[in-house]
Amino acid sequence: MSLENIVIQDAQIGQINFEQVKKRQRAKSFIKGMLFLLPSIILFSIFLFYPLGRTIYLSFFLTNAAGETTVFIGWQNYVNLFTSPIFMQSMKSTFLFVLYTVPFTIIISLFLAMIANEKLKGIGFFRTVYSSTMGISVAAASVFWLYLFHPSIGLLNMILETLGIDGIGWLTDPDWALFAVSITTIWMNIGFTFLILLGGLQSIDSYLYESADIDGAGYFYKVRRITIPMLSPTLFFVVTVTIINAFQTFGQIDILTQGGPVNSTNLVVYSIYREAFVNYKFGSASAQAVLLFIIILIMTFLQFKFGERKVHYQ
Amino acid sequence: MKKLIAVLMLGLVLFIAACSEEGDTEEPETSGATDSDTAEASAETSEATGEKQTVTFWHSMGGAGQEALNAIVDSYNNSQDAVQVNAEYQGTYDEALTKFNSVAGTDSVPNMIQTFEIGTMSMINSGSIVPIQELINADGYDMNGLEENIVNYYSLDGTFYSMPFNSSTPVMYYNKDAFEAAGLDPEAPPETFEEVEEASKAIVESNPDMKGFALQAYGWLYEQLLANQGALLLNNDNGRTDTPTEIGWTEEEGKSIFEWVKRMVDDETFANYGTNGDNMMAGFLAGDVSMFLQSSASSRDVIDHAPFEVGIAFLPHPEAKERAGVVIGGASLWMIDGKSVEEQNAAWDFMKYLQTPEIQAEWHVGTGYFAINPAAYDEQVVKDAYVEMPQLQVTVDQLQATEASYATQGALMDMIPEGRKIMETALETVYNGGDVDDAYNTAVDQFNAAIEQANAARGE
Repeated sequence: MSLENIVIQDAQIGQINFEQVKKRQRAKSFIKGMLFLLPSIILFSIFLFYPLGRTIYLSFFLTNAAGETTVFIGWQNYVNLFTSPIFMQSMKSTFLFVLYTVPFTIIISLFLAMIANEKLKGIGFFRTVYSSTMGISVAAASVFWLYLFHPSIGLLNMILETLGIDGIGWLTDPDWALFAVSITTIWMNIGFTFLILLGGLQSIDSYLYESADIDGAGYFYKVRRITIPMLSPTLFFVVTVTIINAFQTFGQIDILTQGGPVNSTNLVVYSIYREAFVNYKFGSASAQAVLLFIIILIMTFLQFKFGERKVHYQ
Repeated sequence: MKKLIAVLMLGLVLFIAACSEEGDTEEPETSGATDSDTAEASAETSEATGEKQTVTFWHSMGGAGQEALNAIVDSYNNSQDAVQVNAEYQGTYDEALTKFNSVAGTDSVPNMIQTFEIGTMSMINSGSIVPIQELINADGYDMNGLEENIVNYYSLDGTFYSMPFNSSTPVMYYNKDAFEAAGLDPEAPPETFEEVEEASKAIVESNPDMKGFALQAYGWLYEQLLANQGALLLNNDNGRTDTPTEIGWTEEEGKSIFEWVKRMVDDETFANYGTNGDNMMAGFLAGDVSMFLQSSASSRDVIDHAPFEVGIAFLPHPEAKERAGVVIGGASLWMIDGKSVEEQNAAWDFMKYLQTPEIQAEWHVGTGYFAINPAAYDEQVVKDAYVEMPQLQVTVDQLQATEASYATQGALMDMIPEGRKIMETALETVYNGGDVDDAYNTAVDQFNAAIEQANAARGE
């Protein structure tokens, strides 16, 4: 009897101990895990979460020139944005810009990557040339295009004029300016996109092509059935990154058009810059930044939800 | 084969690395001045013995202006042993002001900063400056020796807040050779809007490849064309007697500029360069347009680079209105609060040095900015330059012909940079064939809304 009691007690104690130890160990591993994560948590907090929180906070206020909050106005900054024709124009331009740049960048780069993937003598030279725009800074590239677009002494208009066509006001005509900036951006992005796609093409196993050859498959059949599916993870990455980049375009706008003519190239990030650092309205600029954040978040989410289904991972 | 690809890839990577290094070095070229200046400055600081009082001076003069300014700073540093001025280029006026706002109230503020005229109200509102009136009183300095029209802009209720430094006004540049070819008198440039239209037609008739007139979509020029009609930009006497609550010009005055441009666009004598002043100047130098408006600060550049004879004329005005004159543009020097008295006095000494006739003469001739001190016009350097380039004198004549009034004193408010963008958009709409009434009314609504919001943001 007494012996039994002791055994039961012992068992209970053992169970309690076991639970406690388990808890303690879990806490320990949690702390350990946190310790490993700490550097990135600290960095993210300082450089991402705090500014993000601060931006949201600022978007509910009017500010003075130093960016200090003066009057709390609730949602008024957001209401003003949605009723402002200038901001609506800038949203429209941004979406058009994404529409112009992303598909063309990817199609052109994919084409270049596929021809550069052929095993020919001296192909390294062409690979280098095709990826070379990656090595040019946004500022340098924009200045270079600024001269090409110049209304009277620019190369593009000179060519048009020798062909007997009237020169185009590339950067001064509201119908052309966004198009001109898009051309510049496509040209600048080709280098990076080309390089990533070429990398993706090179990692496709050659035995797939060999067996297709044995089966007597034609070139385009191989492209459609092997290259594109096997390249889909890379393509997905490139599409996501290019879209985000297009939404965040700033440098070429600042140098080429400064948002003009008639606000036709006033893309969202440039509009934020102008609102904050020219007009000193940090509240309204923050509200725009928050909206941009939400839009990119939704776009990326949609892409992962619908785009990723078609991605084939090996 | 695999090996070959690997080698190729490696080569590619190396090439890209080399390229991106090249690319990276491109960027500092534009901002390189900052770095080298800072480096120079710190080198000079370390050289300086402890006795020298250092003064940090933030400025926004790039290109030729920077060279001229650095020469002046060097000559000051060499002229005495007590003060060492370190001039640091901080980007455009907008950028410098933004940087200043972010360090205001900390130890990192400079002793002096150069700020453009429309930043005047933001600087006063910032509360981190010392009005130079205090130093004028303490020192017994006489501001009456300086150009009256320039000094007028920077005094508010009889108090001087900042020391005028680089001042300019807009003028009309024209191509004398083209005028002659079109049968116009190159010595009698058009004075009114209507005469500009007539001259433009004559130019286009004689040379179909050349347009008559270009007006950069630049808010500052719009303000100047208003002032030249005697119109105010903001109510309450351009914001000089009370905080403005709405625009100050009448519909007739404001619209006259749009209608003038519209008529030339319809005549196809107008050259549209949008908001890009550099393109406009390049177009003028290449003989694509015969007349354009621009700051007198560019006069030296234009005269030096034009392959034809350049004429400089007064800013045009509508025939129905008298010429009222121009508003002083440019920038002034601000004394920053929170520094020791010794540093302030040292900075003040440098400010006074800048106003001496010899220095102002050098500055005027080197850039095309005005001499703040009229005594500079008697200096030999200036007289020699006028013999060689008589056009430079027109810019000074225009300033001195300006009558002091609230209109030509210029507007004061912190939302003016935003107002300028609004007017620029409206002008561009008209350049591209938009309706004058629509463009004008939208702009006025937006302008008034911007004033309202700026007043609300001050939380008064």
